[in-house]
Amino acid sequence: MSPRGRAATGAAVAGVAAGWLAFAILVWIYGDSPREVAGQLLAGTWGTAYGVGQVLYKATPLLLTGVAVNLALRAGLFNIGAEGQLAVAGLAVGAAGAALPLATPAWIALPAVIAAAPVAGAVWACVPALLRARFGAHEVISTIMMNRIADAAVGLALACGLAIPGTVRTPDVVRGARLPRLEALGLPSLHGSAVSLALPLALVVAALVGGWLARSRIGRETTLVGLSPTACAAERIPVARRIGVALVLSGAIAGLASLAPVLGSKGYYESGMGAGAGFGGIAVALLGRGSLTGLVLAALLFGTLEQGGLVINARVPMEVMSLLQAVIIVAVALADGRIRGALQRGAWA
Amino acid sequence: MPPLLALDRLGKRYGAVRAVDGVSLSFAPGTIHAVVGENGAGKSTLLRMAAGVVTPDVGVVRIDGEALAPHTAAEAIRRGVGMVQQHFALVGVLSAIENVMLGAEAVTGLGRLDVPRARARADAVAREMGVSAPPWDEPVERLGVGDRQRLEIVRTLVREARVVILDEPTAVLTPGESVQLYAMLRRLADGGRAIIVVTHRLDEVRDHADQVSVLRQGKLVSTRALTRGEPGLLHDIARDVMGEEPPPALERRTSAPGEVRLAMKDVHLGRALHGVTLRVRAGEIVGIAGVEGNGQRELVRVLAGLAAPDRGEVHCEAAAVVHEDRHREGLVLAASVRENLVLGELARFTRHGLIDAAALEREARGRLHRGRIVPADLDGTAASLSGGNQQKLVIARAVGRCERVAVFVFAQPTRGVDLGAARAIHAEIARAADAGKAVLLVSADLPELRALSDRLLVLARGRIVAELPPDAPDAQIGEAMLGGDAAEANEGAAGATA
Repeated sequence: MSPRGRAATGAAVAGVAAGWLAFAILVWIYGDSPREVAGQLLAGTWGTAYGVGQVLYKATPLLLTGVAVNLALRAGLFNIGAEGQLAVAGLAVGAAGAALPLATPAWIALPAVIAAAPVAGAVWACVPALLRARFGAHEVISTIMMNRIADAAVGLALACGLAIPGTVRTPDVVRGARLPRLEALGLPSLHGSAVSLALPLALVVAALVGGWLARSRIGRETTLVGLSPTACAAERIPVARRIGVALVLSGAIAGLASLAPVLGSKGYYESGMGAGAGFGGIAVALLGRGSLTGLVLAALLFGTLEQGGLVINARVPMEVMSLLQAVIIVAVALADGRIRGALQRGAWA
Repeated sequence: MPPLLALDRLGKRYGAVRAVDGVSLSFAPGTIHAVVGENGAGKSTLLRMAAGVVTPDVGVVRIDGEALAPHTAAEAIRRGVGMVQQHFALVGVLSAIENVMLGAEAVTGLGRLDVPRARARADAVAREMGVSAPPWDEPVERLGVGDRQRLEIVRTLVREARVVILDEPTAVLTPGESVQLYAMLRRLADGGRAIIVVTHRLDEVRDHADQVSVLRQGKLVSTRALTRGEPGLLHDIARDVMGEEPPPALERRTSAPGEVRLAMKDVHLGRALHGVTLRVRAGEIVGIAGVEGNGQRELVRVLAGLAAPDRGEVHCEAAAVVHEDRHREGLVLAASVRENLVLGELARFTRHGLIDAAALEREARGRLHRGRIVPADLDGTAASLSGGNQQKLVIARAVGRCERVAVFVFAQPTRGVDLGAARAIHAEIARAADAGKAVLLVSADLPELRALSDRLLVLARGRIVAELPPDAPDAQIGEAMLGGDAAEANEGAAGATA
């Protein structure tokens, strides 16, 4: 492992350790036994097949948003907008899936509906991408604004006819557009858990993005632009275009994160579905430190914490888990030069 | 009488590297003593030990025959040895006079800062230096480099330094400022001080120093007294510095220049360029001389396509440009040497959108070896290379494109680079012209321009004010360089008296 890789791993491990320490102290203050609560948390997640399935289900969108945020970070951008990109994509997928004729076969329905996710996410990311590439507007500000606009726009669209009247959810997507659950694909022991074909799909996307960054010309140039836009501009690499494309791609991948809940679990889109995964992706990207393995492990960790929060909710409030996550994020972010770099570059650009 | 400052078998290791290895030297009042050597030869470490900043592992620093103890900078200053560091240690938001007082504040009886007294003292020092007093009340961050350097020297002298050590003082100065600096150092030496200058510019040594000591790989190679005009002297010093015979002077193939490959016609850009017109033909090297900040940077940016001129025409065939700031425009510091060697050329090594790693590796390795970059490690980051090797990398990338370009633009190609590397870079530039390329060489280093150029253009205040042969006398070039400035200064003076 390179020295930089070692330092990155060290920071991640230290961050997680700090999080668990905070968790233990809080549970202790709350009057319970940290050891017992942690034991219960592990038993309820990795202790049963159902628990594992649920962790994988929760980890699926986190992996994709993590890959999305990481891609932007490599280009020197901080995409805070995965949350909004995911919401808009979720609505697009739900609406598209419901709009198809009932008898549409899966081989037509699935590709069409799946394609709606990256397209919607990319469209939503286009606005900050253009603002950044053309006018140098800081993407942190514009993606946060786009999150708020997404909230309002999704609500408006649901109210204006995409939702079943009187509810905030779309009608069910057609049968052919559902992503099969893994329990139906030869893993019956995962019975009852919502983990679906979206998981292998996410792994493939993560691997493709990793390969694109490392092997393709545009991907390499994007990484170089992230490291030094001035040097790249001096050698005639189209910096603005690379940055714009990276942000749009990031939005497309964040959009894909909506597939697991919409097509893999519920079969419809509902206001607020997938909320939190966009911000969770920032944590995954920070903890994952740019490597594919790192991102997968980080997604699994945060998936475990999310599912674990539900498991221990009877003994301690779920907020304890949120706090654990927050401590990990803050600790890792403090150690992460890329975040500081992206913010500073933007601020002075 | 013991020497003013004597270094007695000083040694210092950093890890496995012997930065300084048993060096003994003494410095006499009334002389300018130059210490030269390549990057990493141990010059800075040696003199930082002399100034008490770095503690030696072995050996003793003696001032007036007495050992420096404790070995601290404060004690060295108290005993009259002061050092002006390469990167000035000034506080940007404080005013010039506050910086002079910093750490040795004069106070009145009630503990208030006695600014008038400090100012009187600083003014006296500036008079002795023979320079006009810097603007004392201006915050240092608004001062130019030359003023900052004078301020550092004032600060040293206010503390009654009898030995003044300067680390690469001319690295940040224009040729004109350098000459002024040495004139001032001469006055200080004549006043009975010992002046020690660390440098790697041999022409400065020849023109201004009384003594020269050469360091190589931490060891003292030679110490000479200099007599002006001694033939072969520069050659001997260069041999000591490099540890081998210096390569023979550049030989340029003389051939009639060809087609015009690069032309600018009445180019204006903001407040920097005011109607630049020039032409460079295939096979010739055109040098741009001038005091820095007269539009050189902008000229190169326009040619590189990084800035669009407000007015005027630019005709430039496919060009490879070496920018003056290798850390900003030249390199992606955090990326590998491999990627930097082919920066911006990935399209050539791409098939079906994917990078052909083997082809890229071949090209990068070829450039690495031709550029003699050390360490020859494609996987290391550009940041891990020394400054000289970073510059070699940037040059290797540019000349590696020789087959695909018709024009080369080199801006300050050997700045901060040691002698060996500079000669290699000069050879590459000459080779580019011999290969029939049109070469524009922008440099603040007049000897470099003279050695390489076929024609010299003088850039002053954003205009080409003169075209001269490369062997034109210094005075004539200098006058042209200052032409715009002098006129302006006279106008200013006339305005003030009116």
